[in-house]
Amino acid sequence: MELAKINQLLEAYFEGNTTLEEEARLQHYFSSEEVPAELMPYAPIFVSQVAAREERSSRAIEIPVESSKYSFRKWSMAASIAVVLGVGSLLFFQNNGLTAEQEEALAAYNQAKETMYLLSENLNKGTSKITYLDEFAEGAATINLINQFTESKSKFLK
Amino acid sequence: MRQPNHPMNQKEFLETVLPIKDKLYRLAKRLLVSSEEAEDAVQEVYLKLWKGRDRMENYSNPEAFAMTMTKNYCLDRLKSKQASNLKIVHSNYQHSDNLQHKVELNDGVQLVFKLMETLPEKQRMVMQLRDIEQFEFNEISEMLDLNETAIRVNLSRARKTVRDELLKKYNYGIS
Repeated sequence: MELAKINQLLEAYFEGNTTLEEEARLQHYFSSEEVPAELMPYAPIFVSQVAAREERSSRAIEIPVESSKYSFRKWSMAASIAVVLGVGSLLFFQNNGLTAEQEEALAAYNQAKETMYLLSENLNKGTSKITYLDEFAEGAATINLINQFTESKSKFLK
Repeated sequence: MRQPNHPMNQKEFLETVLPIKDKLYRLAKRLLVSSEEAEDAVQEVYLKLWKGRDRMENYSNPEAFAMTMTKNYCLDRLKSKQASNLKIVHSNYQHSDNLQHKVELNDGVQLVFKLMETLPEKQRMVMQLRDIEQFEFNEISEMLDLNETAIRVNLSRARKTVRDELLKKYNYGIS
């Protein structure tokens, strides 16, 4: 950029009459081009502007966890559903979903069923014993016949 | 467009205000000088913005709104400091002895930063927002609640003060 133009821009700059674009040209000129000695005192002004723009905050921002009443309601609803499901499934897996009364009734029923089963088993055993008894009776009758035979034989031997 | 009465969630909030964090920090540091205090100020401003996020949607320019909030917060801090007679911390700028003999460009840049610290608050803010953050006059006008003429006057004074001090040091240094 020609010197006259730079001087003109500088003059406007110090009066607060330059545009952003003109100010950018001044920053560019003093940052990168060979600056004549007479303009050297102005260089730090524009170089510092470019440098200052590079400064960064180094701390992370902390924002509280969302606490609006809407999201609180949403979260409390989700939490209550979770609690109901949790307790429910716990009861379900422990008790097959039965109340204490039903549980008692089921236990009584199961006990009764088992008793009936044992009873019927014994009953069947008894039935087969009766069969044996029949055979015994048959045998006894045979023995009687033998006895009679022995009697008659002894009678005959006499 | 967001539904009315639907509050900004954290993600939307951060997308709106996080890109301007460094600008808020630089303005806070320009006013408070200490980088620790500037970081604290930015954190406080973000908490305030978060609490008032429902209202922020009504502002046409969230950036200008956040800048204004930072400015107000920092000016309040400075006021309470003066009231409690606390020493205002200055940056650790070192006066270089060889400044009298030779003005290096880097020394000149450090000197400009130091000179900016000595400017009245209004001039400091105007210079920060225009020369460093490159905002248009109408934007600065919204942020600082000043008319454009007042902005130009403050800007011109700030620029001339820095120039005159620089020329004084420079001419003294090389002569």
